[in-house]
Amino acid sequence: MDKKNSGNHRLLLELDHVSVGFPIGKREISVVTREVSFQVCEGEALGIVGESGSGKSVSMLAALGLLGNGGHVVSGNIRFYPEKEQCLVLNQFTEKQLCEIRGDDISMIFQEPMTSLNPVMTIGQQVEEMLVLHGNCPKEERRSKVLSMLSEAGLPDTEAMYGKYPHELSGGMRQRVMIAMAMICRPKLLIADEPTTALDVTIQAKILKLLKKFQKQYGTTIILISHDLGVIRNVCSRAVVMCAGEVVEQGNVETLFENPEKEYTKRLLAAALGKGGILRRENAPQENIIVKARDYSVYYEEREEQLFRQDETVKQEEEAEKVENQKSELEQTIEPKEIQNNLSKKAEIQKENRQESESELEQPIEPKEIQNNLSKKAESQKENRQESESELKQPTAQRKNQRYKIEMLKRRFRQFLSGKTKRRIVNKVSFDVYAGEIVGIVGESGCGKSTLAKAVAGLNPLTEGELYLDCKQPQMVFQDPYGSLNPSKTIGWLLTEPLRLKHCGTKEEQRKAVEQMLEKVGLGKEYYHRYPNTLSGGQRQRVAIAMAIMLKQKLIVLDEPVSALDVTVQEQILILLVELQKEFGLSYLFISHDMNVIHRICDRVFVMYQGEIVEKGNTDAVFENPQHEYTKKLLSARL
Amino acid sequence: MRYYVKKIVSLIMVLFLIMLLTFIAFQVIPGDGAISRLGVDATDEEVEALREALGLNRSLPERFFSFLGGAVHGDFGKSYQYSKPVSELLTARLPATVGLAAISIILILVISVPLGLLCSRKEGGAADRAVTILTQTLMAVPAFFLGIIITLVFGLILKWFQIGGYIDPKVNFTGFLQYMIFPAAAVAVPKIAMTVKFLKTSVLRELKLDYVRTARSKGNTERVVLWRHVLKNALIPVITFMGMVIADVLAGSIVIEQVFNLPGVGRLLVVAIGNRDYPVVEAVVVYIAAVVLIVNFIVDLLYQKVDPRVRMR
Repeated sequence: MDKKNSGNHRLLLELDHVSVGFPIGKREISVVTREVSFQVCEGEALGIVGESGSGKSVSMLAALGLLGNGGHVVSGNIRFYPEKEQCLVLNQFTEKQLCEIRGDDISMIFQEPMTSLNPVMTIGQQVEEMLVLHGNCPKEERRSKVLSMLSEAGLPDTEAMYGKYPHELSGGMRQRVMIAMAMICRPKLLIADEPTTALDVTIQAKILKLLKKFQKQYGTTIILISHDLGVIRNVCSRAVVMCAGEVVEQGNVETLFENPEKEYTKRLLAAALGKGGILRRENAPQENIIVKARDYSVYYEEREEQLFRQDETVKQEEEAEKVENQKSELEQTIEPKEIQNNLSKKAEIQKENRQESESELEQPIEPKEIQNNLSKKAESQKENRQESESELKQPTAQRKNQRYKIEMLKRRFRQFLSGKTKRRIVNKVSFDVYAGEIVGIVGESGCGKSTLAKAVAGLNPLTEGELYLDCKQPQMVFQDPYGSLNPSKTIGWLLTEPLRLKHCGTKEEQRKAVEQMLEKVGLGKEYYHRYPNTLSGGQRQRVAIAMAIMLKQKLIVLDEPVSALDVTVQEQILILLVELQKEFGLSYLFISHDMNVIHRICDRVFVMYQGEIVEKGNTDAVFENPQHEYTKKLLSARL
Repeated sequence: MRYYVKKIVSLIMVLFLIMLLTFIAFQVIPGDGAISRLGVDATDEEVEALREALGLNRSLPERFFSFLGGAVHGDFGKSYQYSKPVSELLTARLPATVGLAAISIILILVISVPLGLLCSRKEGGAADRAVTILTQTLMAVPAFFLGIIITLVFGLILKWFQIGGYIDPKVNFTGFLQYMIFPAAAVAVPKIAMTVKFLKTSVLRELKLDYVRTARSKGNTERVVLWRHVLKNALIPVITFMGMVIADVLAGSIVIEQVFNLPGVGRLLVVAIGNRDYPVVEAVVVYIAAVVLIVNFIVDLLYQKVDPRVRMR
């Protein structure tokens, strides 16, 4: 861990018993934070930790008057000391006065780099706007100033970058743009609100490094808001722990993390640092294979100009790294060159693959992919035999050829009309999953792990290669518990739906089964008539899990099931999953980007990188002795 | 590039289809141009001779392709009624119609954008509520009725313009504008009401997005946030909507031309239908369809101009 700059003890910002409230109706005010007090000294990095809804962002947004919806400081004062002997009480400022402070003395970066930039303005315009608003930078010098700031923030090819639009950049790059924008006026205070939460771990580390660089170089004070204790620990010297709108504990990061006083901090720490203990069993059974994939590829049809792909993200990040290496001699963790070489090689291979997959389009592709599961096959074996016999009698080759040609023409025509192309996302992977096993698939966004998961669950028909399933169609649990439940149906309706579709039992029996299931997932019968919007994220995820195991399928595919949840809720869901697995003898295909979670719950782990499984093995073996460079990189990025 | 080629190809295909449909429609409708011109008392020989002269006795495909060939050159044949080339009639009537549409569209844009922004900035305020009530009411009023009221108030009572008058733009352009502003208002007002409402919804939606917070955190004043950051984003759906509005304005002006007695294409169409003057009707229908298509084509291009995310390489 790096040495932290703890500042020179001149007070910069002070929150003095600040309560923030939002108006409800005309008279009432709902107070969301109560009596929050803490101080930040010049040059230091302060962390604010807490779960969602703990009010950690609210106080900072209140300081800048950015709350919206009529939110304001109800009592207490927020004092800002930009110079010695100068004290500004921010909560008494008018909008106009605040506009002068914002961006100039205090600037902010936000969580969602994907949406925080204006989509119709170029990067250059957006960064330059800061210079137009603040400071007296003459017009001619603005452009060059912007360019040098962009390169300071580690953005490659700044001239081209100036004219690019946000959607042309990866998440990491956009966050760099946000940082460049926030830093160009050399603010005294930089408030970073979950700056890395939406980013992949390896990119996360780089962004934090950049923040630390600026802190050191320009003596900028940083307030880092995060739910991630690892991030706080990496950057900050002091931290404030918040819960339900109040400050629970504050102090030095080291002491706070080593010897937390309050129960809440202890729980948060235990959950966050993966100290929650291993949930998986010692010896997972490896007898009956339930999923068997051989040279299995998955394709996506997409518009030509679609969202960001991992290979491009990797390319951009590599370039950024080069720029940074040239630019700053400050605190470099020298990475083995092998990784770099390996990565760029990978990128090249990936490119070839893409070309390959494009050219393959012109070759005949098995139209009916072997998606049939074994049990179905058993059922329809007779039919199949008859079919294959009759097929054998005909000179099929020629016929097939003809059919493929027509198929290809049709496909090309469709492509022309829709402007869509088929791209290979998962590239010839082979793996087995045993019955009763929890297998983790880990990798960064865009590596194809979700695509693979959906294909295994039968939700993506564009596949190639072999996949055998020794079970009925697997069910899926998705990441977003808010978006994946139909808001207009009751929980009971949602849970009986799979039973209705498969005609299982009478109405009364269905109801009973659902109520039992609700008890099993820890919700209770009374939830039968509730609607999804009345449930918390964790409760919704319980419903989603109940829905998936309703039909007693043996294989459940979980796509980032706990990523959208707070750490303490994560914990509960993980425990529930393990319990259910034991009780019903389920197998899980558990997709996650979170190495800690994978480590705790999975028997075996597959590491995916750019559409391929680059490493697989027992979890302990992979974590203790990673073989592939990418796995090492992932593990080292774990904070 | 491929995108534009695709767009233009589909544009031509749709135009062809419209011509085909228009042509067939007038073959299916009972009644004969020759009879309608000569009257029912005409002898069979006379009718036959006229059919021969007009080319009505040729086969259907033959007639369609000669119609199509002519149309490509801008030649829609001769009007039965006026015995003049249709293209000549059409050109004479164009200034009134195009002027009416253009002024209406300008009115819509100039009034609804600031009004929409005002409403969304002060949502729930007195101005917003007044405008909302006004737009709700005006949206429900048909253009022709508004035209009648305008004629009554500004023409009959206030005498700001002479009812039924029209000044050729080539003779006196400002005079032309003074006359046109009233019918244009009749066409534009209901559309302004709709556009204001649509824009307001769009701006309010945009205001909730993250980039607005970023813009504010940079120290932009609320006004600048609206005009520089939000407006362009909010206009993206409005542009699509405007494409439909413009097509509607063109159709709506046919009625308004009747109310204000303007010598435009709309009135030409109405008279021509009454007289079964098929070449004129066909030409006007094709003209209107073509304008609507071209307007939509321009909207598509504009859309790409405004939104870099849909820009094709």
